Amino acid sequence: MSNFTEEMIDDYANKLLIGLTLEERKMIQQEFDDIEHSMELINKIDGIKDVEPQSYPFEMEITDLRSDDDVDEEIPIDILLRNAGSVEGREVEVPKVVG
Amino acid sequence: MLEKGIKELHDELKSKKITSDELVKESIKACHDIQEKTNSFVTIIDDATGTEVTDELLSGIPYGIKDIFSTKDILSTGSSNTLNNYVPFFDATCVANLKKHGAVGVAKTVLDELGMGGTGTTGHTGIVHNPWDLERQTAGSSAGSAASVAAGVYPYALGSDTGDSVRKPAGYCGIVGYKPTYGMISRYGMFQFASSLDTVGVLSRSVEDAAIAVDGMKGLDKHDMTTWDSSNIHLYESLNKDVKGKKLFYIKEICDIENYKNPSEELKEHLNNFKDTIKKCESIGISVEGVSIDRNLLNALYPTYMVIYGAEASSNMANLTGISFGPRGEGSTPDEMIKDHRTKGFSPLIKRRFVIGSFVLQRENQEKFFLNAKRVRRLIVNKMNSLFENYDGMLCPVGTGPAKYLDDSKNNHDKDTVVLEEILQIGNFGGYPSITIPNGFINNLPVGVNITGKVKDDVNVLNIAYALEDVMDYKNQIAREVK
Repeated sequence: MSNFTEEMIDDYANKLLIGLTLEERKMIQQEFDDIEHSMELINKIDGIKDVEPQSYPFEMEITDLRSDDDVDEEIPIDILLRNAGSVEGREVEVPKVVG
Repeated sequence: MLEKGIKELHDELKSKKITSDELVKESIKACHDIQEKTNSFVTIIDDATGTEVTDELLSGIPYGIKDIFSTKDILSTGSSNTLNNYVPFFDATCVANLKKHGAVGVAKTVLDELGMGGTGTTGHTGIVHNPWDLERQTAGSSAGSAASVAAGVYPYALGSDTGDSVRKPAGYCGIVGYKPTYGMISRYGMFQFASSLDTVGVLSRSVEDAAIAVDGMKGLDKHDMTTWDSSNIHLYESLNKDVKGKKLFYIKEICDIENYKNPSEELKEHLNNFKDTIKKCESIGISVEGVSIDRNLLNALYPTYMVIYGAEASSNMANLTGISFGPRGEGSTPDEMIKDHRTKGFSPLIKRRFVIGSFVLQRENQEKFFLNAKRVRRLIVNKMNSLFENYDGMLCPVGTGPAKYLDDSKNNHDKDTVVLEEILQIGNFGGYPSITIPNGFINNLPVGVNITGKVKDDVNVLNIAYALEDVMDYKNQIAREVK
Protein backbone atom coordinates (compact mmCIF):
# COMPACT_ATOMS: atom_id res chain seq x y z
CA MET A 1 0.00 0.00 0.00
CA SER A 2 1.52 3.31 -1.08
CA ASN A 3 1.93 6.21 1.34
CA PHE A 4 0.97 8.46 -1.55
CA THR A 5 -2.46 8.84 -3.10
CA GLU A 6 -3.12 10.24 -6.56
CA GLU A 7 -4.62 13.29 -4.87
CA MET A 8 -1.39 13.93 -2.93
CA ILE A 9 0.75 13.73 -6.08
CA ASP A 10 -1.64 16.05 -7.92
CA ASP A 11 -1.57 18.48 -4.99
CA TYR A 12 2.26 18.66 -5.01
CA ALA A 13 2.21 19.35 -8.76
CA ASN A 14 -0.69 21.81 -8.59
CA LYS A 15 1.15 23.94 -6.05
CA LEU A 16 3.76 24.52 -8.78
CA LEU A 17 1.05 25.12 -11.40
CA ILE A 18 2.02 21.90 -13.18
CA GLY A 19 -0.59 19.51 -14.53
CA LEU A 20 0.09 15.79 -14.80
CA THR A 21 -1.29 13.35 -17.35
CA LEU A 22 -2.65 10.04 -16.05
CA GLU A 23 0.57 8.29 -17.11
CA GLU A 24 2.79 10.90 -15.47
CA ARG A 25 0.83 10.75 -12.22
CA LYS A 26 1.00 6.97 -12.22
CA MET A 27 4.77 6.97 -12.89
CA ILE A 28 5.46 9.45 -10.09
CA GLN A 29 3.14 7.71 -7.63
CA GLN A 30 4.84 4.35 -8.29
CA GLU A 31 8.26 5.87 -7.65
CA PHE A 32 7.40 7.97 -4.64
CA ASP A 33 7.55 5.24 -2.00
CA ASP A 34 11.09 4.42 -3.16
CA ILE A 35 11.98 8.11 -3.20
CA GLU A 36 10.69 8.63 0.34
CA HIS A 37 12.48 5.47 1.50
CA SER A 38 15.71 6.78 -0.03
CA MET A 39 15.23 10.17 1.59
CA GLU A 40 14.83 8.50 4.99
CA LEU A 41 18.57 7.66 4.78
CA ILE A 42 19.13 11.33 5.57
CA ASN A 43 17.52 10.85 8.97
CA LYS A 44 19.71 7.87 9.87
CA ILE A 45 22.74 10.06 10.58
CA ASP A 46 23.58 10.18 14.28
CA GLY A 47 23.08 13.57 15.91
CA ILE A 48 21.72 15.13 12.74
CA LYS A 49 19.45 17.52 14.66
CA ASP A 50 22.44 19.20 16.31
CA VAL A 51 24.05 20.22 13.02
CA GLU A 52 23.64 23.71 11.56
CA PRO A 53 22.06 23.47 8.07
CA GLN A 54 24.40 24.49 5.23
CA SER A 55 22.81 26.38 2.36
CA TYR A 56 25.89 27.34 0.33
CA PRO A 57 29.14 25.53 -0.53
CA PHE A 58 31.35 27.77 1.60
CA GLU A 59 31.25 31.02 3.51
CA MET A 60 31.06 33.94 1.14
CA GLU A 61 31.59 37.38 2.59
CA ILE A 62 29.86 39.92 0.40
CA THR A 63 31.16 43.34 1.37
CA ASP A 64 31.02 45.30 -1.86
CA LEU A 65 28.23 47.82 -2.04
CA ARG A 66 27.30 49.00 -5.48
CA SER A 67 27.76 52.67 -6.14
CA ASP A 68 24.62 54.69 -6.84
CA ASP A 69 26.47 56.08 -9.87
CA ASP A 70 26.94 52.64 -11.37
CA VAL A 71 24.12 52.77 -13.90
CA ASP A 72 23.71 50.18 -16.62
CA GLU A 73 23.02 51.11 -20.19
CA GLU A 74 19.29 51.27 -20.78
CA ILE A 75 17.84 48.54 -22.98
CA PRO A 76 15.15 49.71 -25.42
CA ILE A 77 11.68 48.57 -24.40
CA ASP A 78 10.91 46.94 -27.75
CA ILE A 79 13.92 44.63 -27.27
CA LEU A 80 12.85 43.76 -23.72
CA LEU A 81 9.36 42.93 -24.92
CA ARG A 82 10.27 40.94 -28.01
CA ASN A 83 9.95 37.53 -26.32
CA ALA A 84 6.58 38.28 -24.76
CA GLY A 85 3.70 36.54 -26.52
CA SER A 86 1.32 39.48 -26.30
CA VAL A 87 2.13 43.14 -25.84
CA GLU A 88 0.12 46.36 -25.60
CA GLY A 89 2.23 49.50 -25.90
CA ARG A 90 4.98 49.27 -23.27
CA GLU A 91 3.23 46.49 -21.30
CA VAL A 92 3.11 42.70 -21.41
CA GLU A 93 -0.55 41.82 -21.91
CA VAL A 94 -2.31 39.21 -19.74
CA PRO A 95 -6.00 38.41 -19.19
CA LYS A 96 -7.84 40.84 -16.94
CA VAL A 97 -8.01 39.51 -13.37
CA VAL A 98 -9.87 42.27 -11.47
CA GLY A 99 -13.32 43.79 -11.89
CA MET B 1 42.97 20.99 -38.24
CA LEU B 2 40.10 21.00 -35.67
CA GLU B 3 41.54 17.98 -33.91
CA LYS B 4 44.33 20.22 -32.62
CA GLY B 5 44.38 21.93 -29.26
CA ILE B 6 43.93 25.66 -28.64
CA LYS B 7 47.66 26.47 -28.47
CA GLU B 8 48.42 24.67 -31.74
CA LEU B 9 45.45 26.29 -33.47
CA HIS B 10 46.60 29.67 -32.21
CA ASP B 11 50.05 29.07 -33.69
CA GLU B 12 48.50 28.06 -37.04
CA LEU B 13 46.38 31.22 -37.04
CA LYS B 14 49.28 33.48 -36.07
CA SER B 15 51.49 32.01 -38.79
CA LYS B 16 48.61 32.51 -41.25
CA LYS B 17 48.50 28.83 -42.27
CA ILE B 18 44.75 29.22 -41.85
CA THR B 19 42.48 32.19 -41.25
CA SER B 20 39.90 32.43 -38.48
CA ASP B 21 37.15 32.54 -41.11
CA GLU B 22 38.37 29.29 -42.65
CA LEU B 23 38.63 27.63 -39.25
CA VAL B 24 35.13 28.72 -38.27
CA LYS B 25 33.69 27.48 -41.58
CA GLU B 26 35.50 24.16 -41.15
CA SER B 27 34.05 23.83 -37.64
CA ILE B 28 30.49 24.63 -38.79
CA LYS B 29 30.78 22.02 -41.55
CA ALA B 30 32.09 19.47 -39.03
CA CYS B 31 29.09 20.23 -36.76
CA HIS B 32 26.72 19.47 -39.64
CA ASP B 33 28.66 16.30 -40.46
CA ILE B 34 28.16 14.78 -36.99
CA GLN B 35 24.63 16.07 -36.33
CA GLU B 36 22.75 13.20 -37.94
CA LYS B 37 24.72 10.57 -36.02
CA THR B 38 25.01 12.25 -32.63
CA ASN B 39 22.22 14.91 -32.46
CA SER B 40 24.62 17.13 -30.51
CA PHE B 41 23.14 20.50 -31.48
CA VAL B 42 19.99 22.52 -30.95
CA THR B 43 21.37 25.23 -33.23
CA ILE B 44 24.38 25.37 -35.52
CA ILE B 45 25.27 29.04 -35.96
CA ASP B 46 25.75 28.99 -39.73
CA ASP B 47 26.39 32.70 -40.02
CA ALA B 48 29.22 32.76 -37.45
CA THR B 49 32.33 34.41 -38.84
CA GLY B 50 35.97 34.57 -37.88
CA THR B 51 37.46 37.23 -35.63
CA GLU B 52 40.72 39.14 -35.56
CA VAL B 53 43.61 36.96 -34.43
CA THR B 54 45.44 38.67 -31.59
CA ASP B 55 47.90 37.47 -28.96
CA GLU B 56 44.92 36.11 -27.03
CA LEU B 57 45.08 32.31 -27.27
CA LEU B 58 41.32 32.00 -27.74
CA SER B 59 41.06 34.57 -30.53
CA GLY B 60 39.72 33.35 -33.84
CA ILE B 61 39.04 29.84 -32.53
CA PRO B 62 35.56 28.22 -32.63
CA TYR B 63 33.86 26.63 -29.62
CA GLY B 64 30.50 25.16 -28.58
CA ILE B 65 27.99 26.59 -26.11
CA LYS B 66 25.66 24.45 -24.03
CA ASP B 67 22.15 25.70 -24.77
CA ILE B 68 21.66 26.49 -21.09
CA PHE B 69 23.52 29.77 -21.67
CA SER B 70 21.85 32.89 -23.02
CA THR B 71 23.34 34.09 -26.29
CA LYS B 72 22.41 37.45 -27.71
CA ASP B 73 20.08 37.21 -30.74
CA ILE B 74 20.56 33.43 -30.90
CA LEU B 75 17.89 30.90 -29.88
CA SER B 76 18.57 29.71 -26.31
CA THR B 77 16.24 26.91 -25.29
CA GLY B 78 17.65 25.07 -22.28
CA SER B 79 16.58 22.07 -24.38
CA SER B 80 13.08 22.67 -23.02
CA ASN B 81 9.79 23.24 -24.80
CA THR B 82 9.13 25.96 -22.20
CA LEU B 83 11.85 28.03 -23.89
CA ASN B 84 11.67 26.70 -27.44
CA ASN B 85 11.26 30.18 -28.96
CA TYR B 86 13.38 32.26 -26.56
CA VAL B 87 15.91 34.62 -28.15
CA PRO B 88 17.81 36.55 -25.43
CA PHE B 89 18.83 40.18 -25.83
CA PHE B 90 22.08 39.63 -23.91
CA ASP B 91 24.98 37.20 -23.62
CA ALA B 92 25.65 35.17 -20.48
CA THR B 93 28.72 36.65 -18.77
CA CYS B 94 30.91 33.64 -19.56
CA VAL B 95 29.96 33.89 -23.25
CA ALA B 96 30.53 37.66 -23.23
CA ASN B 97 33.96 37.16 -21.63
CA LEU B 98 34.98 34.62 -24.26
CA LYS B 99 33.75 37.00 -26.96
CA LYS B 100 36.01 39.72 -25.51
CA HIS B 101 38.92 37.31 -25.94
CA GLY B 102 37.97 36.80 -29.59
CA ALA B 103 36.47 33.29 -29.27
CA VAL B 104 33.78 32.35 -31.81
CA GLY B 105 30.69 30.40 -30.73
CA VAL B 106 29.57 28.15 -33.59
CA ALA B 107 26.91 25.93 -32.04
CA LYS B 108 24.40 25.63 -29.19
CA THR B 109 24.54 22.11 -27.79
CA VAL B 110 21.78 19.80 -26.53
CA LEU B 111 21.39 19.14 -22.80
CA ASP B 112 19.05 17.23 -20.56
CA GLU B 113 16.07 19.53 -20.16
CA LEU B 114 17.20 22.61 -18.18
CA GLY B 115 20.22 20.63 -16.97
CA MET B 116 18.05 18.32 -14.90
CA GLY B 117 19.19 14.89 -16.00
CA GLY B 118 22.22 12.69 -16.36
CA THR B 119 21.56 10.72 -19.52
CA GLY B 120 21.49 13.12 -22.47
CA THR B 121 18.10 11.71 -23.41
CA THR B 122 15.61 14.36 -22.25
CA GLY B 123 16.34 17.38 -24.44
CA HIS B 124 13.38 18.66 -26.47
CA THR B 125 15.21 18.00 -29.75
CA GLY B 126 15.92 14.35 -28.93
CA ILE B 127 18.53 11.93 -27.64
CA VAL B 128 22.26 12.64 -27.87
CA HIS B 129 24.33 9.64 -29.00
CA ASN B 130 27.83 8.86 -27.77
CA PRO B 131 30.32 9.30 -30.63
CA TRP B 132 32.33 6.28 -29.41
CA ASP B 133 29.29 4.02 -29.79
CA LEU B 134 26.03 5.44 -31.06
CA GLU B 135 23.98 2.95 -28.99
CA ARG B 136 25.41 4.40 -25.79
CA GLN B 137 24.57 7.43 -23.67
CA THR B 138 26.84 10.43 -23.41
CA ALA B 139 25.63 10.99 -19.83
CA GLY B 140 24.41 14.47 -19.07
CA SER B 141 23.42 17.04 -18.73
CA SER B 142 26.20 18.58 -20.88
CA ALA B 143 25.55 15.87 -23.45
CA GLY B 144 25.92 17.69 -26.78
CA SER B 145 28.99 19.58 -25.57
CA ALA B 146 30.71 16.33 -24.57
CA ALA B 147 29.74 14.48 -27.76
CA SER B 148 30.84 17.29 -30.05
CA VAL B 149 34.19 17.89 -28.33
CA ALA B 150 34.87 14.12 -28.38
CA ALA B 151 33.98 14.12 -32.08
CA GLY B 152 36.60 16.80 -32.73
CA VAL B 153 34.50 19.62 -34.19
CA TYR B 154 36.16 22.25 -31.98
CA PRO B 155 38.67 22.13 -29.13
CA TYR B 156 36.27 22.99 -26.28
CA ALA B 157 32.67 23.62 -25.33
CA LEU B 158 30.89 25.19 -22.38
CA GLY B 159 29.08 23.02 -19.88
CA SER B 160 27.36 23.46 -16.55
CA ASP B 161 27.61 21.17 -13.54
CA THR B 162 25.07 20.86 -10.71
CA GLY B 163 25.77 17.23 -9.71
CA ASP B 164 28.32 15.92 -12.18
CA SER B 165 26.96 17.29 -15.48
CA VAL B 166 30.37 18.21 -16.89
CA ARG B 167 32.47 15.52 -15.24
CA LYS B 168 30.34 12.42 -15.92
CA PRO B 169 29.84 13.13 -19.67
CA ALA B 170 33.59 13.75 -19.93
CA GLY B 171 34.19 10.27 -18.52
CA TYR B 172 31.72 8.62 -20.90
CA CYS B 173 33.09 10.48 -23.92
CA GLY B 174 36.82 10.06 -23.23
CA ILE B 175 37.59 13.76 -22.75
CA VAL B 176 38.39 16.31 -20.03
CA GLY B 177 35.61 17.90 -17.96
CA TYR B 178 36.56 20.67 -15.52
CA LYS B 179 34.24 22.20 -12.93
CA PRO B 180 36.10 25.09 -11.29
CA THR B 181 35.49 26.27 -7.74
CA TYR B 182 31.94 27.56 -7.22
CA GLY B 183 31.77 31.24 -8.14
CA MET B 184 34.98 31.36 -10.15
CA ILE B 185 32.86 31.84 -13.29
CA SER B 186 29.71 33.94 -13.24
CA ARG B 187 26.40 32.11 -13.67
CA TYR B 188 24.64 35.22 -14.97
CA GLY B 189 22.75 34.29 -18.12
CA MET B 190 22.75 30.58 -17.33
CA PHE B 191 19.29 29.10 -16.78
CA GLN B 192 19.37 28.21 -13.11
CA PHE B 193 18.72 24.70 -11.82
CA ALA B 194 19.89 24.51 -8.18
CA SER B 195 21.62 27.77 -7.43
CA SER B 196 23.71 26.62 -4.46
CA LEU B 197 25.21 23.84 -6.62
CA ASP B 198 25.25 25.25 -10.19
CA THR B 199 28.72 25.85 -11.64
CA VAL B 200 29.90 26.81 -15.12
CA GLY B 201 32.47 24.38 -16.53
CA VAL B 202 34.23 23.32 -19.68
CA LEU B 203 34.73 20.20 -21.78
CA SER B 204 37.94 19.82 -23.79
CA ARG B 205 40.41 17.20 -24.97
CA SER B 206 43.30 18.29 -22.75
CA VAL B 207 43.85 19.82 -19.33
CA GLU B 208 45.75 22.65 -21.02
CA ASP B 209 42.74 23.60 -23.14
CA ALA B 210 40.43 23.46 -20.11
CA ALA B 211 42.76 25.86 -18.27
CA ILE B 212 42.94 28.28 -21.20
CA ALA B 213 39.16 28.31 -21.65
CA VAL B 214 38.41 28.93 -17.96
CA ASP B 215 41.03 31.69 -17.84
CA GLY B 216 38.97 33.34 -20.58
CA MET B 217 35.66 33.02 -18.74
CA LYS B 218 36.33 33.59 -15.06
CA GLY B 219 36.19 36.74 -12.97
CA LEU B 220 34.06 38.94 -10.76
CA ASP B 221 30.65 39.85 -12.12
CA LYS B 222 28.36 42.41 -10.55
CA HIS B 223 25.42 40.38 -11.87
CA ASP B 224 26.37 37.30 -9.80
CA MET B 225 27.06 37.98 -6.13
CA THR B 226 28.62 34.53 -5.67
CA THR B 227 31.56 35.36 -7.94
CA TRP B 228 34.89 36.04 -6.26
CA ASP B 229 38.07 37.77 -7.34
CA SER B 230 40.35 35.24 -9.05
CA SER B 231 42.51 37.83 -10.83
CA ASN B 232 45.60 36.46 -9.08
CA ILE B 233 44.93 32.97 -10.46
CA HIS B 234 46.35 32.21 -13.91
CA LEU B 235 45.46 28.62 -14.65
CA TYR B 236 47.26 28.15 -17.96
CA GLU B 237 50.44 29.95 -16.89
CA SER B 238 50.50 27.94 -13.67
CA LEU B 239 50.45 24.56 -15.38
CA ASN B 240 53.51 22.49 -14.59
CA LYS B 241 54.18 18.86 -13.92
CA ASP B 242 55.87 19.45 -10.60
CA VAL B 243 53.65 17.20 -8.48
CA LYS B 244 56.27 15.32 -6.52
CA GLY B 245 55.21 15.03 -2.89
CA LYS B 246 51.51 15.66 -3.56
CA LYS B 247 49.06 13.50 -1.64
CA LEU B 248 45.71 12.13 -2.79
CA PHE B 249 43.16 9.92 -1.07
CA TYR B 250 40.44 7.61 -2.34
CA ILE B 251 37.35 6.40 -0.49
CA LYS B 252 37.82 2.71 0.30
CA GLU B 253 34.10 1.97 0.68
CA ILE B 254 33.43 2.74 -2.98
CA CYS B 255 36.79 2.05 -4.66
CA ASP B 256 37.69 -1.36 -3.21
CA ILE B 257 36.08 -4.20 -5.17
CA GLU B 258 35.65 -6.37 -2.07
CA ASN B 259 32.99 -3.94 -0.84
CA TYR B 260 30.62 -5.06 -3.63
CA LYS B 261 28.61 -8.27 -3.21
CA ASN B 262 28.10 -9.12 -6.88
CA PRO B 263 30.24 -6.78 -8.95
CA SER B 264 29.75 -6.78 -12.72
CA GLU B 265 32.71 -7.54 -14.96
CA GLU B 266 32.70 -3.90 -16.07
CA LEU B 267 32.91 -2.68 -12.48
CA LYS B 268 35.78 -5.07 -11.76
CA GLU B 269 37.67 -3.81 -14.80
CA HIS B 270 36.87 -0.19 -13.95
CA LEU B 271 38.22 -0.50 -10.42
CA ASN B 272 41.25 -2.50 -11.61
CA ASN B 273 41.94 0.26 -14.10
CA PHE B 274 41.58 2.77 -11.25
CA LYS B 275 44.23 0.87 -9.30
CA ASP B 276 46.50 1.11 -12.36
CA THR B 277 45.93 4.87 -12.36
CA ILE B 278 46.99 4.98 -8.71
CA LYS B 279 50.26 3.30 -9.75
CA LYS B 280 50.69 5.95 -12.46
CA CYS B 281 50.21 8.64 -9.82
CA GLU B 282 52.86 7.00 -7.68
CA SER B 283 55.20 6.82 -10.67
CA ILE B 284 55.24 10.63 -10.82
CA GLY B 285 55.69 11.14 -7.11
CA ILE B 286 52.08 11.46 -5.95
CA SER B 287 51.18 9.30 -2.96
CA VAL B 288 47.67 7.85 -2.85
CA GLU B 289 46.05 6.42 0.30
CA GLY B 290 42.69 4.82 0.98
CA VAL B 291 40.54 6.44 3.66
CA SER B 292 37.24 5.39 5.22
CA ILE B 293 34.12 7.50 5.42
CA ASP B 294 31.08 6.56 7.50
CA ARG B 295 28.84 4.37 5.33
CA ASN B 296 25.67 6.08 6.59
CA LEU B 297 27.05 9.43 5.46
CA LEU B 298 27.93 8.04 2.03
CA ASN B 299 24.49 6.44 1.69
CA ALA B 300 22.87 9.80 2.49
CA LEU B 301 24.79 11.54 -0.31
CA TYR B 302 22.37 10.97 -3.18
CA PRO B 303 19.15 11.54 -1.18
CA THR B 304 20.67 14.77 0.11
CA TYR B 305 21.38 15.86 -3.44
CA MET B 306 17.87 14.88 -4.52
CA VAL B 307 16.25 16.95 -1.76
CA ILE B 308 18.42 20.03 -2.28
CA TYR B 309 18.14 20.10 -6.08
CA GLY B 310 14.41 19.40 -5.92
CA ALA B 311 13.75 22.23 -3.49
CA GLU B 312 15.94 24.74 -5.31
CA ALA B 313 14.76 23.75 -8.79
CA SER B 314 11.08 24.00 -7.90
CA SER B 315 11.69 27.52 -6.56
CA ASN B 316 13.89 28.57 -9.49
CA MET B 317 11.31 27.58 -12.09
CA ALA B 318 8.98 30.33 -10.89
CA ASN B 319 10.10 32.54 -13.79
CA LEU B 320 9.04 29.97 -16.39
CA THR B 321 5.55 31.33 -16.96
CA GLY B 322 5.29 31.64 -20.73
CA ILE B 323 4.20 35.25 -20.22
CA SER B 324 7.31 37.44 -20.48
CA PHE B 325 9.14 34.82 -22.56
CA GLY B 326 8.57 31.27 -23.75
CA PRO B 327 5.52 29.99 -25.65
CA ARG B 328 2.22 31.25 -24.25
CA GLY B 329 -0.19 28.81 -22.64
CA GLU B 330 -3.93 29.01 -23.06
CA GLY B 331 -6.31 30.10 -20.32
CA SER B 332 -8.62 32.81 -19.11
CA THR B 333 -6.42 33.84 -16.16
CA PRO B 334 -2.62 34.20 -15.80
CA ASP B 335 -2.56 31.15 -13.48
CA GLU B 336 -4.34 29.04 -16.08
CA MET B 337 -1.96 30.25 -18.77
CA ILE B 338 1.09 29.44 -16.65
CA LYS B 339 -0.23 26.00 -15.79
CA ASP B 340 -0.96 25.23 -19.42
CA HIS B 341 2.52 26.45 -20.42
CA ARG B 342 4.23 24.23 -17.84
CA THR B 343 1.97 21.22 -18.32
CA LYS B 344 2.61 21.16 -22.07
CA GLY B 345 6.21 22.38 -21.91
CA PHE B 346 7.88 20.16 -19.32
CA SER B 347 8.75 16.56 -20.10
CA PRO B 348 7.58 13.82 -17.68
CA LEU B 349 11.02 13.37 -16.10
CA ILE B 350 11.45 17.01 -15.22
CA LYS B 351 7.92 17.15 -13.81
CA ARG B 352 8.96 14.28 -11.54
CA ARG B 353 11.90 16.34 -10.25
CA PHE B 354 9.69 19.34 -9.58
CA VAL B 355 7.15 17.20 -7.74
CA ILE B 356 9.95 15.87 -5.51
CA GLY B 357 10.87 19.48 -4.77
CA SER B 358 7.28 20.37 -3.96
CA PHE B 359 7.04 17.34 -1.66
CA VAL B 360 10.15 18.19 0.40
CA LEU B 361 9.01 21.80 0.74
CA GLN B 362 5.59 20.88 2.19
CA ARG B 363 5.37 22.37 5.66
CA GLU B 364 5.30 18.95 7.32
CA ASN B 365 8.41 17.80 5.40
CA GLN B 366 10.67 20.84 5.66
CA GLU B 367 12.39 19.86 8.91
CA LYS B 368 12.51 16.14 8.19
CA PHE B 369 13.80 16.34 4.65
CA PHE B 370 14.87 19.80 3.51
CA LEU B 371 16.64 21.05 6.64
CA ASN B 372 18.08 17.64 7.46
CA ALA B 373 19.46 17.39 3.92
CA LYS B 374 21.21 20.72 4.43
CA ARG B 375 22.58 19.37 7.74
CA VAL B 376 23.95 16.29 5.98
CA ARG B 377 25.48 18.63 3.42
CA ARG B 378 27.43 20.30 6.23
CA LEU B 379 28.62 16.96 7.63
CA ILE B 380 29.83 15.83 4.20
CA VAL B 381 31.56 19.15 3.50
CA ASN B 382 33.15 19.16 6.98
CA LYS B 383 34.46 15.64 6.40
CA MET B 384 35.92 16.57 3.02
CA ASN B 385 37.45 19.79 4.36
CA SER B 386 39.13 17.86 7.17
CA LEU B 387 40.58 15.41 4.64
CA PHE B 388 41.80 18.29 2.48
CA GLU B 389 43.84 19.52 5.45
CA ASN B 390 46.07 16.47 4.93
CA TYR B 391 45.63 15.75 1.23
CA ASP B 392 45.81 17.75 -2.00
CA GLY B 393 42.74 16.06 -3.37
CA MET B 394 40.49 13.04 -3.78
CA LEU B 395 41.02 10.56 -6.60
CA CYS B 396 37.91 8.76 -7.77
CA PRO B 397 36.73 6.58 -10.65
CA VAL B 398 34.05 8.29 -12.76
CA GLY B 399 30.83 6.28 -12.59
CA THR B 400 30.79 2.50 -12.49
CA GLY B 401 32.31 1.85 -15.90
CA PRO B 402 31.98 3.03 -19.49
CA ALA B 403 28.92 4.73 -20.99
CA LYS B 404 25.59 3.06 -20.30
CA TYR B 405 23.32 1.85 -23.10
CA LEU B 406 20.56 4.12 -24.39
CA ASP B 407 18.31 1.05 -24.12
CA ASP B 408 18.08 0.96 -20.33
CA SER B 409 17.03 -2.70 -20.28
CA LYS B 410 20.64 -3.58 -21.22
CA ASN B 411 22.09 -1.70 -18.25
CA ASN B 412 23.14 -3.11 -14.89
CA HIS B 413 21.04 -1.69 -12.01
CA ASP B 414 23.07 -2.75 -8.97
CA LYS B 415 21.90 -0.79 -5.90
CA ASP B 416 25.31 -1.35 -4.29
CA THR B 417 26.87 1.01 -6.84
CA VAL B 418 24.62 4.04 -6.23
CA VAL B 419 27.18 5.86 -4.07
CA LEU B 420 29.99 5.35 -6.60
CA GLU B 421 27.67 6.47 -9.39
CA GLU B 422 26.76 9.67 -7.55
CA ILE B 423 29.94 10.47 -5.59
CA LEU B 424 30.95 13.44 -7.76
CA GLN B 425 28.05 15.41 -6.24
CA ILE B 426 30.42 16.00 -3.31
CA GLY B 427 32.16 18.49 -5.58
CA ASN B 428 28.98 20.58 -5.75
CA PHE B 429 28.11 20.31 -2.05
CA GLY B 430 31.43 21.95 -1.15
CA GLY B 431 31.95 23.99 -4.33
CA TYR B 432 35.24 22.19 -4.89
CA PRO B 433 37.33 22.35 -8.07
CA SER B 434 36.95 18.99 -9.76
CA ILE B 435 38.27 17.60 -13.04
CA THR B 436 37.72 14.38 -14.98
CA ILE B 437 40.35 13.08 -17.38
CA PRO B 438 40.25 9.89 -19.49
CA ASN B 439 42.18 7.00 -17.91
CA GLY B 440 41.59 3.97 -20.13
CA PHE B 441 39.22 1.80 -22.13
CA ILE B 442 36.83 -0.97 -21.16
CA ASN B 443 35.12 -2.94 -23.96
CA ASN B 444 36.57 -0.41 -26.42
CA LEU B 445 34.82 2.46 -24.63
CA PRO B 446 36.57 5.22 -22.71
CA VAL B 447 36.44 5.57 -18.92
CA GLY B 448 37.53 8.43 -16.71
CA VAL B 449 39.10 9.31 -13.39
CA ASN B 450 38.35 12.40 -11.32
CA ILE B 451 40.43 14.63 -9.09
CA THR B 452 38.64 16.91 -6.61
CA GLY B 453 40.49 19.38 -4.41
CA LYS B 454 39.95 22.11 -1.88
CA VAL B 455 38.07 25.35 -2.54
CA LYS B 456 40.01 27.87 -4.67
CA ASP B 457 42.91 25.41 -5.06
CA ASP B 458 42.16 25.00 -8.76
CA VAL B 459 45.80 25.41 -9.78
CA ASN B 460 46.85 22.44 -7.65
CA VAL B 461 44.01 20.25 -8.93
CA LEU B 462 44.74 21.12 -12.56
CA ASN B 463 48.44 20.48 -12.12
CA ILE B 464 47.84 17.00 -10.73
CA ALA B 465 45.52 16.29 -13.68
CA TYR B 466 48.05 17.79 -16.10
CA ALA B 467 50.89 15.61 -14.83
CA LEU B 468 48.74 12.48 -14.71
CA GLU B 469 47.40 13.09 -18.22
CA ASP B 470 51.00 13.22 -19.42
CA VAL B 471 51.80 9.68 -18.28
CA MET B 472 48.67 8.21 -19.87
CA ASP B 473 47.84 7.83 -23.56
CA TYR B 474 44.44 9.49 -23.86
CA LYS B 475 45.13 13.18 -24.36
CA ASN B 476 43.51 14.75 -27.44
CA GLN B 477 41.79 11.54 -28.50
CA ILE B 478 38.92 11.73 -31.01
CA ALA B 479 35.91 9.41 -30.89
CA ARG B 480 36.06 6.45 -33.22
CA GLU B 481 32.50 6.31 -34.63
CA VAL B 482 32.67 9.73 -36.22
CA LYS B 483 36.41 10.04 -36.82
